[in-house]
Amino acid sequence: MEGNIELLKGALALVGYGLGAIGPGIGIGIVAGNAITAMARQPEMQGTIRTTMFLGIAFTEALALIGFVLFFIA
Amino acid sequence: MILATECDTANEVICAPANVNDLFEFDAWFTVGGLAFTRTTFLMLLAALIVVALLYFGLRKQRLVPSKFDAVIEGLVGFVRDDVARDIIGPDSRKYLPYLLSIFLFILIGNLFEVTPLINFPITSRMAIPLFLSLVTYFIFVIVGFGKNRFRYLIDTAWPKTVPVGLRPLVGLIELVSVFFLRPLTLAVRLFANMVAGHLMLTLLLGSGVIFIAAVGDIGARSLIGVPWLAFGLFIFVFEIVVSLLQAYIFTLLSAVYIESSIHFEH
Repeated sequence: MEGNIELLKGALALVGYGLGAIGPGIGIGIVAGNAITAMARQPEMQGTIRTTMFLGIAFTEALALIGFVLFFIA
Repeated sequence: MILATECDTANEVICAPANVNDLFEFDAWFTVGGLAFTRTTFLMLLAALIVVALLYFGLRKQRLVPSKFDAVIEGLVGFVRDDVARDIIGPDSRKYLPYLLSIFLFILIGNLFEVTPLINFPITSRMAIPLFLSLVTYFIFVIVGFGKNRFRYLIDTAWPKTVPVGLRPLVGLIELVSVFFLRPLTLAVRLFANMVAGHLMLTLLLGSGVIFIAAVGDIGARSLIGVPWLAFGLFIFVFEIVVSLLQAYIFTLLSAVYIESSIHFEH
């Protein structure tokens, strides 16, 4: 079994992406959870809250997406 | 494609799948001056044609009582006009409405190709298309930013006045990288990654489900493992319709937000 650097790099990239997805996962959970709380408290603001929630999710998701790209580059 | 993989399910426990790129890369139909015309190219032109046809036939004549088809198209146009353009950009949103509407419908049709029978390929899962669309958005918001604020746009991004002096180099650097580099990148990759993941999941679940069930003659009762996979695949199928709509909406929404941040630039 020769040390196959390519396989090791692929495996490490996978682990790295997994670690990188933790933070955004927690973040998206917080964003969506708070949006639900806000909608329950003020249903008349639903439209605005939903738009803002998608924006928050999109910005939080960016970190996970950078990890996704780095996974392909590695 | 995945069905073409030669694998004897009776003898081999794990079938080595074909290269994953086979799902996304097609052979060229013909070549025009070094540019290959592939299935993706054809589907891209088809999507553009569908968008034009939808808008043309939907909004051709204004009836007092719109037909059902007209009402759907008017609903889509009104959604982009009111909920995306006007709510985000504000009064001068009419200038950007044609762009936002066309990318919304193009991405929507392109994404929905994923769940269209006989096509089953989201054109937005090839990086070229999301990247091009996000670069168009990038050029629009950069040009608008420089047009409205002159060089204050660049200077105030790199040296934000609203932040305490000590933090300005750090925040400025982060802002500079995030506005001029990460924005177009994440915009493109978000759409691309979602569509690639969806296409892979659908192919793997539905494909393996069908393969297992089709191999019932060879492997007997073991082919029952294909049933839950097929069921899960069908569940994901419905989920992917939602993802298609959501990703088209988010791409348009973020384009609008980026353009708005260039118009009302305050730092």
